[in-house]
Order: sequence, then structure tokens, then C-alpha cells
Amino acid sequence: MLVAERDIKMFLHYKFVLILRALWFLAQIALFGLIVNRMVKEEVQVVTGGNYFYFYAAGIVVTLLYSMTVFIGYDIYEEADHGVTEYLLSLPVSRRELVLGRAIGGGLRSFLYVAPLMFVVLLLIGITDPFRILIALTALFLFAFGVAGMSITLAMSIKSHDRFDILLGVLNAFIVRLSTTMYPVAFMPPQYASMAQFNPLTFAADIFRWGAGLEAVLLTSPFVSVFGIVVFFSVFTFLGIVFYEKRLEGGGWR
Amino acid sequence: MNLADLIVMAVVYTNMISPTVAGKYLSYFLFFSPGITITALFAAAFMIGREINREFRRSLSHYLLSLPFSRRELAFGRVLSGGVRGMVYMAPLLVTTTFVTWFFTGKLPSPLEMILVVFALFLVSIGTSGLSITIALSTKSFEKFVTARGVIYYVLFFCSSVFYPLDFIRQLGRDGTLPQPLVFIAEINPLSSGADITRSFLLGYPSFSPLMLLNVALFAAIFVLTATFAYLKIVQE
Repeated sequence: MLVAERDIKMFLHYKFVLILRALWFLAQIALFGLIVNRMVKEEVQVVTGGNYFYFYAAGIVVTLLYSMTVFIGYDIYEEADHGVTEYLLSLPVSRRELVLGRAIGGGLRSFLYVAPLMFVVLLLIGITDPFRILIALTALFLFAFGVAGMSITLAMSIKSHDRFDILLGVLNAFIVRLSTTMYPVAFMPPQYASMAQFNPLTFAADIFRWGAGLEAVLLTSPFVSVFGIVVFFSVFTFLGIVFYEKRLEGGGWR
Repeated sequence: MNLADLIVMAVVYTNMISPTVAGKYLSYFLFFSPGITITALFAAAFMIGREINREFRRSLSHYLLSLPFSRRELAFGRVLSGGVRGMVYMAPLLVTTTFVTWFFTGKLPSPLEMILVVFALFLVSIGTSGLSITIALSTKSFEKFVTARGVIYYVLFFCSSVFYPLDFIRQLGRDGTLPQPLVFIAEINPLSSGADITRSFLLGYPSFSPLMLLNVALFAAIFVLTATFAYLKIVQE
């Protein structure tokens, strides 16, 4: 928990990232979302439960959660650059506790940051069932935890800041666009739709929309979404632990 | 990211956008392709501001002052380099967009039209570079710089005809959906002019107007001069 607390405190130093992401979110909702809502066919409004704007707003929140969480990977490189890694290794915590703490901290801090914006979107859409929202938020926390684990896994397996940056850029570009965060699967070409079905962002977007009462647009049932998120979080937490334990020591950072 | 926008996002939105909005461009995919070119150019040219702000905060500019060229060359060179970066980054996307529009429409711009497109995009790029440098030099506070940069970046980015046609934005303004100040920003936005100049020669719509070129030329002139003088002033402090 001390490790997680440290990551949360570090996050608050990245004021510029927090400000920029909030601005990006507002611009996406207030400009792009509103305008595109007026541009889409009537069929899209029907498929998205009557209001594409609500569909889009819910998806953008999940995208924001994802993009804030992957930042933990960059922290790892910063620490390696400044010699903080060796300090962390000298602490009286096991390697496993260290990586679990990083994953929890990485997920929790972005979740805490995005939570008020999630609340804004839920107020916009209208809160119908608080119990559902609680389940959805719990699932989203696990999702953030899994994304943190994924970022840590990639950072530790590559150990090169430039390559990590490029890989994450490519991954982010496609993982967000090949999901149902911005558009329903009904309008995707079949090849894209088949990839979107197994995308963890799709599971996260679906569970958040289910929590918000936008049931008409769900690609998967809430059980499948939660199951998908649990599998995602389990796999990447496990991989994160394995990679972090094996590769943290010995330097080799580029 | 821009390639993902073209290959994935543009394709999906083409299936979603009403034909009454994108019909004049044949499809939303063809409408959006030049827009992606502009977004790439804008993002690449805008990055110079961040580097210059970092140089001043870390006093790296002192090293630049020791180099064997004049202050004016240094200042103008920084502005120009940001613009050239944008052009270099955007070039493959422009080639891709030209090929895509030719493939679907059979229309290829004449050499003169292509030169005009490249020239207009260069003006947008160098103007963007100048704008970014001006913002970077306007404050020594990193937080203020990032916030100002973010606001201007997102307003220019989302309040333009990159993602949606300008006549549709105007229609939303008349309906009251979009506030008139935002419609005005979209109309005078150099990204709108740059994207529409590219569309007018690649797709044939909207019709080219000299006002589009005047818009980007003014934008470039104002911010190249402002950035150059600001850089000259700050670098010697």
C-alpha cells in the first residue's frame, strides 16, 4: 500500500498531464461529440439507444481512463533514468509487493482522476440504478488495474524508452479505434468488429454503459464484460509480476 | 495514430455519417482524408513550442547563442524548423491522401494545383510553428504554458473543418446548436482553410477561394513575425 500511495502522490506532480487530459475530455464531449451527434444517420441513433451523444460520452470516459493508466509505464522509465529504481530495490518490500503496489497505484490514481469526469457523464446520462453503477465502477477499477499491469509488462519487457513510446503509441492508436468506445460494432467492417469483440476497452465501455443504463447498445452481456475484464486484469497482473521480478534488476535500460 | 484514424476511424464513421452531410464529398472517408493530413501537420509543427519552452527553462538557449550565426537567423531558423518538421511528417500522409482520392474519384490535381496545396500547407505549418513558439515564450511557468497550449491546441483542432464540413458547422450555428463564436473560430481557423484548400483540389469541393489562401498567409505572417521577435527578445534576457 505504501508503494501504491507513492504512485498516487507522484501522479499529482503531473499537473500538466492532468490539465491537458481534462481539456481533451471537455473538447471531445463539448465539440466533437455534440457535432458528430448531429451528423450521424438516424439508424445510428436507433442502434445507440436513441442518443449517440450519450453513447460517445460514456466511451470517451473509458478511453480517458485507459490513456491515464498507461502512464505508469513512463514512470518506470523516468525512475530508471534518475536512479530511483535502485532505491526502490533497496526498500524492505519484496519484488512481488513492489510490482503489485505499482499496478494498484497505477490503476487507482487514474481511476481517482477520472472518477469525477465519470460522475459528470453519469449525471448527463441520468443515474437510474446506483447498484449497477457500483458494479460498473468496480469492474472499471479492475480494468484500470489490468491496464497498469499491461503497461508495466510492456515497459519491463522492452526496457527501451523510445521503443516503448513507439509501441505504446501504435497500440493505443489501434486499441482505442478497434473498440466500441467511439462507435457501435454494428457499423464496423466485419474484420474490425471481430477484433473489437475481444478488446478489453470494449468490455470496459460496455460495463460502464450497462451501469449508466444504456442497455440497448451493449455488444456483450455484463457478465461477459466483467469476465473479460477479470481475465485481462489477471493475465497482465501475473505477467507484470513475472516481468517486473525478473527484469527489474541488472540495469540494461536504454 | 494518423494512419489508424484513416484506416479505422474514417472507415467506420463513413458508415455512420448521414449522406446529406458528406454527400458533396462523395463519402465521409474522402472528406476526412485531407483532414487527417492537416492534423498530422498541425501536431508535428506544434511540438516545437514545447522544446523551446524547455530550452528556456533549462537555460539551454545560452548554448544556442554561442553558435556562429546571428540572433535573427537563430530566431527565424527555429520558426522555420518547426514548419519544415510539420511538412516532413505530413508528406507521406499527403501522398496517401492524394492516392486514395485519385483511386476513388479518378481525379488528380494538376502540378500547379499540387504546388498550391503544398504551399498552403507550408504556410499552415510555419504559422503553427510560430503560434506554438509564441505561446512557449509568453510565460516562464510550465503549468501556465501547458494549459494555454492545451486550450489553443484543442480549440483549433476540434473547432475546424477537419472532422466536419464548414457548411455543416455554419448550419449548426444557425440552429443554435453551436455558439456563434465557435462558428466564427471555425471559419477563420487556418486548419479549416488548409483542409478546404486540399479538398478543393483533390475532391473538387468546396470551390477554391483566394480568401482561403489569404487566411493561411495572414496566419503565417502574423505568427512567424510574432514568434521571431519574441524569440529575439527573450533569448537575450
